[in-house]
Amino acid sequence: MTGFLDTLAMALDTLRANPLRSLLTLLGIVIGSATVVATMALTEGLRIKVTSDMALLGNAAFVVQKWPAPGFGDQDWARFAQRRPLTREQGEALRALPHVAHVSIEDNLDRPEVIATRERATRPVVTVVGAVTDYEEANAITIGEGRFLSEVDVALGRRVAVIGADVADALFPGGRPLGREIRIRGVPFEVIGVAARMGSILGLESKDAFAVLPWTAYELALGRPRDHYLGVVATSPADVPRAIDEVVATLRRLRGLAPFAENDFDYFTNDSVNQTFEGLARLVGAATLGVCALALLVGGIGIMNIMLVSVTERTGEIGVRMALGARRSRILAQFVVEAVTLSLLGGVVGVLLGAGGALLAHALVGVPASVPAWAVVLSLASASGAGLLFGIYPAARASRLDPVEAMRAE
Amino acid sequence: MTAPLITADRLTRHYVVGGELVRALDGVSFDVREGEWVAIVGQSGSGKSTLMNLLGCLDTPTAGRYVLAGTDVGTLADDALADLRNREIGFVFQTFQLLARATALANVELPLVYRGLPRRERRERAEAALRSVGLANRMHHRPNELSGGQRQRVAIARALVGEPSILLADEPTGNLDSQTGEEIVRLFADLHARGHTLILVTHEPRLAARCPRAIRLMDGRVLGDGPGGELASAGGGRVPA
Repeated sequence: MTGFLDTLAMALDTLRANPLRSLLTLLGIVIGSATVVATMALTEGLRIKVTSDMALLGNAAFVVQKWPAPGFGDQDWARFAQRRPLTREQGEALRALPHVAHVSIEDNLDRPEVIATRERATRPVVTVVGAVTDYEEANAITIGEGRFLSEVDVALGRRVAVIGADVADALFPGGRPLGREIRIRGVPFEVIGVAARMGSILGLESKDAFAVLPWTAYELALGRPRDHYLGVVATSPADVPRAIDEVVATLRRLRGLAPFAENDFDYFTNDSVNQTFEGLARLVGAATLGVCALALLVGGIGIMNIMLVSVTERTGEIGVRMALGARRSRILAQFVVEAVTLSLLGGVVGVLLGAGGALLAHALVGVPASVPAWAVVLSLASASGAGLLFGIYPAARASRLDPVEAMRAE
Repeated sequence: MTAPLITADRLTRHYVVGGELVRALDGVSFDVREGEWVAIVGQSGSGKSTLMNLLGCLDTPTAGRYVLAGTDVGTLADDALADLRNREIGFVFQTFQLLARATALANVELPLVYRGLPRRERRERAEAALRSVGLANRMHHRPNELSGGQRQRVAIARALVGEPSILLADEPTGNLDSQTGEEIVRLFADLHARGHTLILVTHEPRLAARCPRAIRLMDGRVLGDGPGGELASAGGGRVPA
């Protein structure tokens, strides 16, 4: 143990002697470690956020539409475009199924619109939705003020609207939005409810910039949807598979599919979205590891280079140490410990930079970030591993020097 | 009679340089007893450096036998050679060969580090060694803060600290002015008086003359072996200075 501590002390001493050179040498290792930690911190933050956002949607819900879930494989979008649209009648038919509690039928096209009062207007980013009353349950809307749409509103095509908290803030900064008039493409609607604030997706896109109208009134103002999106809520989370079976069977019958024909629509649950995210996270992780491996390779070569320089510069010293009785293994250990200490130092600096950067991004831009312990451990381990791997050759060269020849080098 | 501390028996060291055989040392025999002060003297190319490397266990002979304190050095592997150097040899070099970044104390501790002694014992022994060469108040100075003579004293303390069988000095006054060199020679005389075994390798007949015994080398062979003063006067005419 004394031996190791002495070796470590010698190594630190050498690094202190050349602080700038040590720092420059470490740059590759620093960048590698910083990349891993920062990327992992952001991915982890995203994962936590996605998981909590999905939980908000409720795990009894699933979506049916003609497009597949947003994925990252190469998908034949032209083929999906040719599928027939889902109609309102097909959506209505699902409502009667035994394990289906709610069906929200919505336009499958997001409609960013400007909503205005006489005095003010929103930025053109408010999503206007034409809804049935089930929209409330399917989208986990909580009413903050007033009420949601009623069956009567929908049946009569009343020009009423439930608005999100952002819209209320923008149009009625003084408060009291209930009963006031808003205009969408010049058509007046009366505000009957304001949804409680829901926050933002991944800290970026607000979930409160929307207005919900009865679909009947929506079609008057914005036209008939060409395709529909069906948000289905099963009677309980455990009933989701049964509800899916019923929905698929019903839609196949209504859409006249032959017994062995492929479904011409898709459905996906929170689980499948989660899986997609996990796939993405793995992809990012693999790419990061690639970048990291490359940076460590570059850093490791830097370490090897500087250690070779160091061995050359200190050839005389090595000779003296040997003359004084240092065994070859001792010289080897000294240079390996130096290389590992050097790169571990780089790893620590990199981890601090990476974690600091991710947390700074979180603080400034609101990007979710969380530094996982295993990423820190992984970074430090791979940094010292690189030091070990690339430090062995220079150290072996030092240990194989002939003491007489080495002392002659001045 | 006790067995000699050093027995060199027909020591031979040949090198091949550029396809040509160089007989750096060609059958050199002598004994050194404990407590002797011996000069090995000769011009450059006489083989004295090669002999010093062999005596210092930095190199092994091509032929012949070298026995140091009962150990046949020719048969040893690298690690055993390193351990033997650490225990039995104290080196003093012409260019001091101190570690520039380390304090005098740390430099003197180094042989004990490689011996694996605990920190406290190392420190105590290194301090004692520095005191014995008159550097009690320079222990925490680095080499560049010391004069040449002081540096050589640090080197001598480093050579003494491990209590080796022999002190092996290679041109110890070569890089010093004559006055400082004289101080170092007096320090050697003092060490000799205290019972240390000293071997001093030099090309200076005047320095060899100060030693009770001198072995003169030429072309890899022993040319003479006798009292230093005698050799200096006898050999002075034959060897241009």
